[in-house]
Amino acid sequence: MNNNVLEIKNLIKDFPGVRAVNNVSFGIKRNTVHCLVGENGAGKSTLIKILTGALPKTSGTIILNGKDYVANNIREARLRGISTVFQELNIVDQLTVEENLFLGAEDTFMGFLRRTDKIKRMIDVAKSLEPSINPRQIVSRLSVAQKQIVEIAKAVAMESEIIIMDEPTAAISEYEVERLFNIIRSLREKKVTVIYISHRLDEIFEIGDYVTVMRDGKHIGTELVSKIKNRSELIKMMIGKTLFESYTPRKLQDKPILLEVKNLKNDKLKDISFEVRRGEIVGFYGLLGVGKTELAHAIYGIGTYKGEIIYNGKKLHNSPDKAIEAGIALVPEERRTQGLFTILTIRNNIPVMNMKKISRSGFINTRKEIEASIKYINELKIATDTIEKQSSKLSGGNQQKVVFSKCLFADSDLLILDEPARGIDVGSKSEIYNIIRQLSEEGKSIMIFSSELHEILNVCDRIFIMYDGRIKVEKKNGPGIDREEIIHIVTGV
Amino acid sequence: MRSGLGGSDGVNKISTRGKMSNESFITLSMFIVIIVVIGFASIFVPNFYRPQNIINLVTNFWYIIALGIGVTFLLITGNFELSVGGVAAMTGVLSVYFCQSAGTSPNVLANGLGLPYGVAVALALLAALGIGAINAFFVAKLKVASIVVTLATMSFSRGIAQIVTRGAQRNTSLPDVYGVVGNIFVVGSLKLAVFIMIFFVIIAAIIEKRTVFGRRTYLIGANMQAARLSGVKVAKHITILYLISSFLAGVVGILLASEYISGTSSRIMGVEFDVLVVTLLGGTAIMGGFGSVIGTAIGTVILAVIASASTGLLLRPEWQFILKSVIVFIAIMAQRFALSRRNL
Repeated sequence: MNNNVLEIKNLIKDFPGVRAVNNVSFGIKRNTVHCLVGENGAGKSTLIKILTGALPKTSGTIILNGKDYVANNIREARLRGISTVFQELNIVDQLTVEENLFLGAEDTFMGFLRRTDKIKRMIDVAKSLEPSINPRQIVSRLSVAQKQIVEIAKAVAMESEIIIMDEPTAAISEYEVERLFNIIRSLREKKVTVIYISHRLDEIFEIGDYVTVMRDGKHIGTELVSKIKNRSELIKMMIGKTLFESYTPRKLQDKPILLEVKNLKNDKLKDISFEVRRGEIVGFYGLLGVGKTELAHAIYGIGTYKGEIIYNGKKLHNSPDKAIEAGIALVPEERRTQGLFTILTIRNNIPVMNMKKISRSGFINTRKEIEASIKYINELKIATDTIEKQSSKLSGGNQQKVVFSKCLFADSDLLILDEPARGIDVGSKSEIYNIIRQLSEEGKSIMIFSSELHEILNVCDRIFIMYDGRIKVEKKNGPGIDREEIIHIVTGV
Repeated sequence: MRSGLGGSDGVNKISTRGKMSNESFITLSMFIVIIVVIGFASIFVPNFYRPQNIINLVTNFWYIIALGIGVTFLLITGNFELSVGGVAAMTGVLSVYFCQSAGTSPNVLANGLGLPYGVAVALALLAALGIGAINAFFVAKLKVASIVVTLATMSFSRGIAQIVTRGAQRNTSLPDVYGVVGNIFVVGSLKLAVFIMIFFVIIAAIIEKRTVFGRRTYLIGANMQAARLSGVKVAKHITILYLISSFLAGVVGILLASEYISGTSSRIMGVEFDVLVVTLLGGTAIMGGFGSVIGTAIGTVILAVIASASTGLLLRPEWQFILKSVIVFIAIMAQRFALSRRNL
């Protein structure tokens, strides 16, 4: 009998049009810290979601402690001994630390809470992990790192055997990272296995016992961390052989400058300067939380900043309607909450950024509005039978095409695309890349903010690599571009 | 990207029609409810079916529809407006106070400022706009919850009416011209106020359905963040709507005060909740993004029929509240249920 606490065999997960997890098999040893790495879209999150019961698997088996394991929701997973500390913490800000600890596990007597031994034990566990946290403290006063520790304590106190941590260091300071690592090390003594997901590769060498690399939904390898020489070896496993990229270099140096950003600063951005030429596609690549969205928003006129943004020779005003007037359009990061009016029809969505084009002295010309929707439905091949379809009923890819149509209808010269292909199927993705290329051929400038490198390498002429609120390196795209080097930079050297 | 333009190749024919819109569906179904309710009332209440009676019961509620216009637009943007009743009372009282002759009587409540009628009305309307500006400032600028802000201004404006009338009313030493506008009968028993209301409803319906301003109202309610990112000036828009709403409330207040030739502090007390009820009854979603002024007008007719029929049935007044609440509640529930089934 091996000493694997968890065994994954031939696991497959299909989404419409994509096989997100492709025949993955590996084991996780008891009382280890097992790291899971891979680029965005490699299938890590899907795998974790299956383990925690958030998604059902398509086929394959998972064996926990020698027994078949299936969880239909997070609660069931927790009862079987698998807890997760999510990026978006699952903690109630208005309650105290101890109330959070036994939330969902309360002991009651006729509806009143009782402080039983079980609860005292939970509080003890939390104290032993982090003495500085007062159990009576309101959670909203704690830092992100401290909240994570409360979640970890909760998982330990509930006698979880496996704790999954999804990018726990993405939002916390360096000092707090060290403290978190000490706690993770102490978990080993408490007979807990940790599955650790992070994009910061140095952390894997610091904290990991084993590492599993995934790529394009497949399991590439599981190794002892001590057997891996350095980051480069790990990165090679992550990116594999250089894939064929459809980008061909273009000569754009002579084109006039459309956008100039000088010494942009705010609480997330640290002195950013660059320029964008007409007809150029520039990419901003970096991990989550390095300030990509904040930069996109600053140019579009949301949020405050110091420094100058000059568009077409004029300084930009700080508001989205002024930006649109000047000729800038944004495809926002969150399609459903920021881009689309989901309860409205396609016809009512498409013209909103340029109502002047479908109206005269404030009155809407319905015929023009209908023509506009038909035009974009055809040009962008939005899959619908009628312009009167409620946009919430479209698939993700088609919804994103409606958001694109909105921006194209605004007749802007600069398009800011924040994660333009996130969460949409492969077919729609390549259609969207084609649209982007054609727009730039028509003379529009495009800025793409993305945490997917292949996307950036696929379409961008120039690439700005961001880390910690700064542009670390600027690179020209081309056949010789070094992906390894780029990943070194964004994962923090 | 120039391929397939216009869809004239016939491969990909896009229909410009969907099934009936949710809004038309609600309006139509509420219209059917009106007919059913009137039918029932005609069977059980003697003489209910008479056209004169039907006309009366609609025209008696003209001010609820007029106040409902602003409330509906604001609710479509996802904001409450509860100050309309207070503003109407305040404007009526102020217009009387401004118009009453100055220093002619030892009675405080008979002394006003002695301003000409036109000036008095204009100043009173300005005061109404002031309340609207307060609403707009706190809701649009400071982002305070609209229900809190307009609850406060509801009491505040009512409070001003109370102070100016010492908790009672002002109805003496008014020039004859004061009572004219509220007592013009255009056709038979139909007062000018009813036509003013119909005029406002038509204008509002056109703005709502045909203009960019109307469209932006829906965009804000459907998704405020997306609206802002799409270039809608959300704060400015909500400000305009609160100003319009309090202006309409002011007009209602002046017409009512003129009709009774009296500024009464308790005029249409509690009407803001009736207005909210008819707005919901007319299909406007409490979360915003959906609704119509015509719906609100239909909702008012339903409420009027119920109120009138229960009087006709000689129900004791205290029971009328129960009847009203049950019917309104069932109607709104049925409507939401039908809508969610339809959109499955």
